[in-house]
Amino acid sequence: MNSKGYFADRLIAARIRDLVQTDHGANVKREDEGGCGVTGFASTIPLAGRHIFEPSIRMHNRGNGKGGGIAAVGFDPDRLGVSREVLDSHYLLNIALLEPSCLDALKEDFITPFFDIAHEETLDHITDYRELDGLEVKPPDVWRGFIRVKPDVLKTFIQRHGLGGMKQGWAEDEFVSRNSVALNRRFYSSLGEKQAFVLSHGKNLMILKIVGYAENVVKYYKLDDFPAHIWIAHQRYPTRGRVWHPGGAHPFIGLNEALVHNGDFANYHAVCDYLRQRGIFPQFMTDTEVSVLLFDLWNRVYGYPLEVIIEALAPTGELDFDLLPPDKQELYDVIQSTHIHTSPDGPWFFIVARNIPEENKLQLLGITDTSMLRPQVFSIYDGEAQIGLLCSEKQAIDATLKSISSEDNRFSPVADRYWNARGGSSSDGGAFLFDLSPNSEGKICLTCRDKFGSIVEIEKRKPLNIGETLVKPSDSELLNNELLALLRNKRPKELFRLFQNRASSWDYNTLRWTISQIGKHARRDRELLFPAIESLTILLDRKIPLGDKKRSALVRLVHDELNTIFRSIPPITETLKLGYVTRIDYNTRGALRPPLAIEKALIVDACDFEPEGDDCDSVLLADAYKLGWRNFVVFDLRGQRFEGCGLGPMTDGVKIDLYGSSGDYVGSGIDGMEINIHGNAQDQIGQIMKRGTVVIYGDVGQCFMYGAKGGSVYVLGNAAGRPLINAAGKPRVVINGTALDFLAESFMAGDPLNGGGFVIVNGLTLNEDGVISFLPKPYPGSNLFSLASGGALYVRDPYRQMVEEQLNGGIFAELSVDDWLLIHPYLIENEKHFGIKVNDLLTVDGELRKPNEVYRKVMAVPLSVLTQIPSTDDSVWDSDGAAA
Amino acid sequence: MSYKNIWSQAPSAEVVNTPTRFGRALGKYAVIVSDACNNCLRCVAICPENVFHTQGSKLAVPRDHLCLGMECSRKTNRCVSNCPQNAIRVGYNSSSQALGDSRWTPELLMSAWHMAETGQLPKSDIEYRVGATEGGFDKLRFRFPKKPPKRDIDVESIDTSISLNKRHDGRHEISIPIPVYGGGMSFGSISQTTMLSRIRAFAAWGSFTCTGEGGYPEALYPFDDHIITQVATGLFGVKEETIQRVKIVEFKYAQGAKPGLGGHLLGSKVTEAVARIRETVPGSSLFSPFPFHSVYSVEDHKKHVDWIKAINTKALVSVKVSTPSDVDMVAIGSYYAGAHIVHLDGSYGGTGAAPDVAKKNIAMPIEYAIPKVHNFLVNEGVRDQVTLIASGGIRTAYDIAKAIALGADGVVTGTPELVALECIRCHNCESGRGCARGIATTDLELVALMDLAWGTQRIINLLSCWRDQLRQILYKLGLSSIKELVGKTEVLSHLDYSSNVQDDDMRVAGK
Repeated sequence: MNSKGYFADRLIAARIRDLVQTDHGANVKREDEGGCGVTGFASTIPLAGRHIFEPSIRMHNRGNGKGGGIAAVGFDPDRLGVSREVLDSHYLLNIALLEPSCLDALKEDFITPFFDIAHEETLDHITDYRELDGLEVKPPDVWRGFIRVKPDVLKTFIQRHGLGGMKQGWAEDEFVSRNSVALNRRFYSSLGEKQAFVLSHGKNLMILKIVGYAENVVKYYKLDDFPAHIWIAHQRYPTRGRVWHPGGAHPFIGLNEALVHNGDFANYHAVCDYLRQRGIFPQFMTDTEVSVLLFDLWNRVYGYPLEVIIEALAPTGELDFDLLPPDKQELYDVIQSTHIHTSPDGPWFFIVARNIPEENKLQLLGITDTSMLRPQVFSIYDGEAQIGLLCSEKQAIDATLKSISSEDNRFSPVADRYWNARGGSSSDGGAFLFDLSPNSEGKICLTCRDKFGSIVEIEKRKPLNIGETLVKPSDSELLNNELLALLRNKRPKELFRLFQNRASSWDYNTLRWTISQIGKHARRDRELLFPAIESLTILLDRKIPLGDKKRSALVRLVHDELNTIFRSIPPITETLKLGYVTRIDYNTRGALRPPLAIEKALIVDACDFEPEGDDCDSVLLADAYKLGWRNFVVFDLRGQRFEGCGLGPMTDGVKIDLYGSSGDYVGSGIDGMEINIHGNAQDQIGQIMKRGTVVIYGDVGQCFMYGAKGGSVYVLGNAAGRPLINAAGKPRVVINGTALDFLAESFMAGDPLNGGGFVIVNGLTLNEDGVISFLPKPYPGSNLFSLASGGALYVRDPYRQMVEEQLNGGIFAELSVDDWLLIHPYLIENEKHFGIKVNDLLTVDGELRKPNEVYRKVMAVPLSVLTQIPSTDDSVWDSDGAAA
Repeated sequence: MSYKNIWSQAPSAEVVNTPTRFGRALGKYAVIVSDACNNCLRCVAICPENVFHTQGSKLAVPRDHLCLGMECSRKTNRCVSNCPQNAIRVGYNSSSQALGDSRWTPELLMSAWHMAETGQLPKSDIEYRVGATEGGFDKLRFRFPKKPPKRDIDVESIDTSISLNKRHDGRHEISIPIPVYGGGMSFGSISQTTMLSRIRAFAAWGSFTCTGEGGYPEALYPFDDHIITQVATGLFGVKEETIQRVKIVEFKYAQGAKPGLGGHLLGSKVTEAVARIRETVPGSSLFSPFPFHSVYSVEDHKKHVDWIKAINTKALVSVKVSTPSDVDMVAIGSYYAGAHIVHLDGSYGGTGAAPDVAKKNIAMPIEYAIPKVHNFLVNEGVRDQVTLIASGGIRTAYDIAKAIALGADGVVTGTPELVALECIRCHNCESGRGCARGIATTDLELVALMDLAWGTQRIINLLSCWRDQLRQILYKLGLSSIKELVGKTEVLSHLDYSSNVQDDDMRVAGK
């Protein structure tokens, strides 16, 4: 009787009993929407609401201002005007009053008879909503109450539904949840004119939503300074035009959880039927509401452990299932067959913020669908304070960290780790959670785990305190002379080596001083500018031994210094200060002109440019190219897209260097130019790329090189899902890490030995100090080379870990001498970019091996389905498909 | 001396009589002259349609496709009754009865041939408006008022132009004088002569033609301003260069005939020429996946559109989708993503390559989809900022007018142009060496069956006749512009739900 699931039948019977008489309409999906931007963070230190702004603003292009919402979990009781005891024990009921006059009737029918109210208020908000940019509809008034169910009411409830023996808290949860359903039915879903609905009713958790962008929720309800441990936000992209109330906006509630969602699913109706059979009737008609109702049902009624809930949402697929331990296979088999119609089917990414009062734990959770069809990035920073973040796009994470760290030195603008989840996998299950709970000393700590409970470890190193005053190190003069000599002699690589050899023994002060000194020289002496930028760039691109210091701290310092150097370059408007380089930013973009005299490179301050459209920096680059510029540096990027696009054919000799958070579609369609991305790259990089070189000094996102026809690309880290899908022609790619699923699906790159294309997967990872280690499996997933008709994959797999089952249309082949001669130059080039030595790649167990003992080739097999004309072919010309 | 390449110019849109390229055109009626003929040539003088003509001093093989039929021939002053030798017989042409199918009935084929030859409606009783499918546009009929409403309208001045950029967002302001442009047919699926014939004819009319997914052959370059380049799921042959050449870029999300399905081109068909244009490797099979792998939601879609807009900062964007049950959502999503043209592709169209199971069971008939989307966009208050285009089985001027009356701004066609080039709908485009009439083939000998000037003129004539018919329809409805017809469903009757619907044949009802 202590297990939740014990009462499932009775709870469901009770719900159906009460609800069966009422008319619930058809399960029509009224609120259709495509996608959205989602973001969330969980911090050991409560953070003010304004920090959820930045990522929300960064993701405007993922919403259309017609619905935004936030949820916050884990409050300071003082700020809410209650005691700690009340905050922890009472349900925090937030009701949106679309029609404020209905409050009395609402309280009379749904609050006063059933609940004791410890504290109530109407939420403060700014006087005139029109003061907020982009807010066209007045946000609802919000009534808030801290409530408990009256003991006698609860007793009757328990008796009436036969819930005796159930833990009191659970019965009370059910009462609160049922009461909200009834309230919504009366004041929301049954009405033509909506009057009110429950925003949230969980403990220590609140939700607010509006018609508008999410950041305006924070501004309107004056939450700028309001602290909470967990925040999540959602930019909605509803495709219906006239939205006058925020009922359909995310987040949606279970009981103690709030869920936001990006995506949609195809089996909405099947899921609704399943819920209906269990007495649950969606009232807001969106996928998202249905998702959280599933979560709540499985969690609170059936008592599934979180791992089981995740499995039911995103079933483990194919080969990954076979790789699970036998007992897990048995369990998952049951879950999958039970939930075959109820696993949300389609592209989705959920972010859930939860309070788990019985475990004294706050939780932020991200789950991706099995096929990883929506973008998702996780990250963690572990310093004096710890924070876990998850977002649709990396630049949203960067924006959050930047906003937080600008106010609080315990945080850093650069996280220690960024990664993607592998949906429905045996490796991480496609889900990660950040738990906040007090340790034995009562200090709140953050733990990050995957679906299976494995902890994501961050190596403990000393955090940088940027607030400390910089002092000259003892050997400053000597060091400075060394720096100066190397800069003057234009030896950036040697300067880098100096860091490589000594940085581990330096303290943060010396590291900071040295970096700032390089910047100082660069600013003072025009001749030293290039070597300084080059040497700092190598520091960004390559990892070095850092001793007890954090890599994230070095990246931060170098980035800051580079930004300062770039910003010190005279603007394009000051033609009297002509030099090798000139700087242009959003405000001076009108002054764009052809390069003059000795001008070599255009430095673009991307900071204020729009992420897309006519005011995007990529359009400026294309215009500048037409005026004769060939070298570009774009810095302080904040997710701007399309750099390199629009320059047209034959761009050999053009070079673009990107610093900061580069955005989607970089280098798509390029024909000849060279692009260096100093840091992680986003989604759709190099789509339909034709020729040229892209070097990515980090990971790359989804759909990398989709439909590419050629070009050489080098990736230091991993590629997310669907890389090189549908690539044809002769693309040549080196991925030093690994790739999520569907690598080179429908690869059509001919015979690599005869001018076709290939991908090299090295399956390695670099630690904080740049030490190489090899992954247990170079490519963990299945669906490798599915339906490929050409091209090849060269995988570093000395222990023959890869198996036939991972392939779907490919076969393993012995690496021939010709193959090695083909790929060797690319590995040499790879060594030049990333310092990953070919000999290190060929070394296995400390011993240098022959290439064919280390690398394996995967090539296409002629599939009968692709070589025979179907016998039932009555085909006429295809009016416009590829199938002529 | 300067060399002028006339093939790289669009001719003028004037009608020039352009008879069949084969010996004897197929018609509804057969005119047979027996050996009893004494070459008196009385029939030559009598026939008002010039069916009879001479070769030297003798009667030549009659041009019986021009014949008005038995009724005419038996009139006292006509051929049969006046032949002194009783040598002339007029009857149905049994070969032509074997042509086509219920969508393209023999009479529709022949009427299109007639229009392509003469630029005029056939004078005989050949059906030129609808097919025999018992559904779709064939079940719709115009309700012409008995007398045209009293408005002082000159038929010749009726405006049939439509605007393709209603957003007026600083990108190209494009208006086409006829509410039609040519749908995508890729290089490889049709011959280059066919492709160029379509392009030159539409260019002559100031309209556009879409390249399809197979790339952008160099021969098309002179017509850049009249070409729509396609970005489809396989991304074959899509390069910045081609996107920058054109004024309109079309995203093909789905094809009405096979929504939710991709296609593949067998390795053996990826010849040097095809591979070069598509930027692939010869002999390597090619796939078009069913989705865009980078687009799984509306904000992905917007990003995708933004990308093309970043490459070509002036081009209009068209989004071609099939007609699923939530097509209205797709349309409004495309509007928000920044599309200028929303193109609904219904399932009646061409292709036998699509499996029947997809063709017949997925998606909504176009005549339902058009008003659904039109009304939704009206209610959302954005209808006037989107150009709504319908395609998939548009065969005749009546189909065009019906699609517009249902709520579209204009249409996209494909098959009618091939019929104008004397396609007989034999459904054997792919077998053997390809199209026996040299239209949908890349076999050089078969391609040589058709001449570019001839092909271009045939299509120009067809379009001209369509324009005249549209003007007639508008005239009869008392409208002075095709824009006034948009969404005017009250001018249509559905034959299943109305009785006593008058014939809408513009030849009968009189001007």
